Amino acid sequence: MPRLLLIEDDRETANEIMAELVDRGFDVDWAATGIEGLDKARAADADAMIVDRLLPGMDGLTIIEAVRQERVRTPVLVLSALGAVDDRVRGLRAGGDDYLTKPFAIAELIARIEALLRRPAESRDTILRVGPLELDLLSRTAKRGERPIELLPREFRLLEYMMRRKDQLLTRAMLFEEVWNYKFVPQSNLVDVHMGRLRRKIDMPDEQPMINNVRGEGFILRAPA
Amino acid sequence: MRLPEFMRTTTFRWTLAVSGAFTVCILLMFGFVLAQAYSFMTADVDRLIVGIANFVTSDGPEHRVERLNEHLRIDARHAKLGGLFAADGSRIAGNIESLPAEFRGDARPQLVSLVKVDASGRERQTVRALARALPEGGTLVVGRNDYEFSWIVDIVERALALGLIPALCLGLATGVFLSVRAQRRVEEVNRRVQRIIAGELRERLPTHGTNDAFDKLATLVNGMLDEIETLVRSIAGVGDDIAHDLRTPLTRVRVCLERARQNATTVDGLRAAVDQAIVGLDQSLAIVTALLRIAEIEHGRRLAAFRDVALAELVREVGDLYEPIAEDKKVGLVVGAKDEVTVHGDRDLLFEAIANLVDNAVKFTPEGGHVELSLSRAGDEAVVRVRDTGPGIVADEQELVGRRFYRSDKSRGDPGVGLGLSLVTAIVKLHGFRFAISPGPGCVAEIAGQRAAYS
Repeated sequence: MPRLLLIEDDRETANEIMAELVDRGFDVDWAATGIEGLDKARAADADAMIVDRLLPGMDGLTIIEAVRQERVRTPVLVLSALGAVDDRVRGLRAGGDDYLTKPFAIAELIARIEALLRRPAESRDTILRVGPLELDLLSRTAKRGERPIELLPREFRLLEYMMRRKDQLLTRAMLFEEVWNYKFVPQSNLVDVHMGRLRRKIDMPDEQPMINNVRGEGFILRAPA
Repeated sequence: MRLPEFMRTTTFRWTLAVSGAFTVCILLMFGFVLAQAYSFMTADVDRLIVGIANFVTSDGPEHRVERLNEHLRIDARHAKLGGLFAADGSRIAGNIESLPAEFRGDARPQLVSLVKVDASGRERQTVRALARALPEGGTLVVGRNDYEFSWIVDIVERALALGLIPALCLGLATGVFLSVRAQRRVEEVNRRVQRIIAGELRERLPTHGTNDAFDKLATLVNGMLDEIETLVRSIAGVGDDIAHDLRTPLTRVRVCLERARQNATTVDGLRAAVDQAIVGLDQSLAIVTALLRIAEIEHGRRLAAFRDVALAELVREVGDLYEPIAEDKKVGLVVGAKDEVTVHGDRDLLFEAIANLVDNAVKFTPEGGHVELSLSRAGDEAVVRVRDTGPGIVADEQELVGRRFYRSDKSRGDPGVGLGLSLVTAIVKLHGFRFAISPGPGCVAEIAGQRAAYS
């Protein structure tokens, strides 16, 4: 059972988050103050940390910086009511691995924690495989079984990202941030449209679908059962 | 006792000071003239009486009475004085009652007080006179009433009374008039400012069209008030818009939850209602996020992230991002960015601005239409133009579309928070670029900005 450390001063928010996380099978330790949080973070027995930026008397980023200096590599998700792009950049620079702006959907939080816990190892493989799907990073080609798939560069990038994170829920915001590297909230359902394109190429009508749409939450790439 | 209000004004005090100085100057001048006149006339009179004394004493003692009387006889101005006194002081001839005691005895003219007697009676006078001791004993006194000088003094006094006093009064009156007028204007300004402070923002300071200092100041302040009023109104307008645009989805959420609470009989039914409620809340949050973002950009905290941005690549990227969405809508998206143009700016923000324009264009262009995204150079400017074949905007709306939450009536039904163009406006302003929307056919949106030096 993955262990999480939640550093959050607001009891109500903390309770909500913990309840959800426990439901999803996480073991959650809660620290209500920065000092307590820092002690627990130093112990480094959590698999991932969720750190609120605005703690009484301390910026969450200070904790992250302190912990990183002690060479604790635990992945950190920064929570903040400060949504500005600059704050985000600062959060990531301080050693955070991901940044989530309050208020957020629980599904978004869970998806991001899962992503942190299962960060793809730096693999040297030049061919990614998920079930019958194969992506050759050198020749920039893709095929499903014996069927070659023609991909535009943007579709190739999207598929690569998803294959590296197979079986994980990827939210629209995560995809937009990571694949397109944009930090703004698009007005249109851009991610869905792009995903639709990719899906039509990956999943033919007679094939078992691999790209699954989780309603209202995001997408998961899975090998067909 | 409190002075009347106008007396305490600077204008009035200055008027008083100037009038006082003016009076002192006039008095000094008149005094000088009088002193000069007096010394000139005295010298003249003195010469005259010495002459007369010489005349009376030029012959032997036996002619003196006769000569004196001859001299005194013709005296149209009643100015002549003369007296011949025996050694014992008794009067022998002349019109002086007695020998005045105050003569110095050096025989030179001086100012003395004596009593004149003649047919019309006795009269004490202060006159210039000399007393000359006679060789046969006795004293000759010759004098002259300097009535001319008195006349001059009279004239000067009258001139002063007729000239200075009215001038002073006029000065004071002007002072009072000016200060009362200034006072009134200040009071008027004061009253109006009080009204403005009380929230009556449409109030303006009065101008009289005289283009004087007051008018100039009032015009300046009025200009400032115009600007403040516009700002306050737009803020108030934005507040109203925010309230309205937040209330709409929140009301929908409320209704949806209420209905589900009463009517839902299954968990799925309840769940569907909750999903719908979450969509509504997300929409409200999106509005708040967008507003915060605009505020962040408007406060210009991002200048630090400015660097050279290659626009051609950026434009192609936006095209790449929106191409599928346009295709799904059966709208042709044409991207033209052949020349590389570099500007100094924030790449992410510029991307967002251009993406917003394309987003709008694609959204508002009906099926079968076209959206053209192009980058070009115009002189030393880079121009990003988004042209579409949508409904376009009417001239009246050109100004309004950049306003927060403004939505053309034509697009009321479309999804979106109505903040896209405000965001674009904010980003463009931060960069010091220009943003213009003009009716095409369709709609043409243009961002133009200074190219980086070497591009």
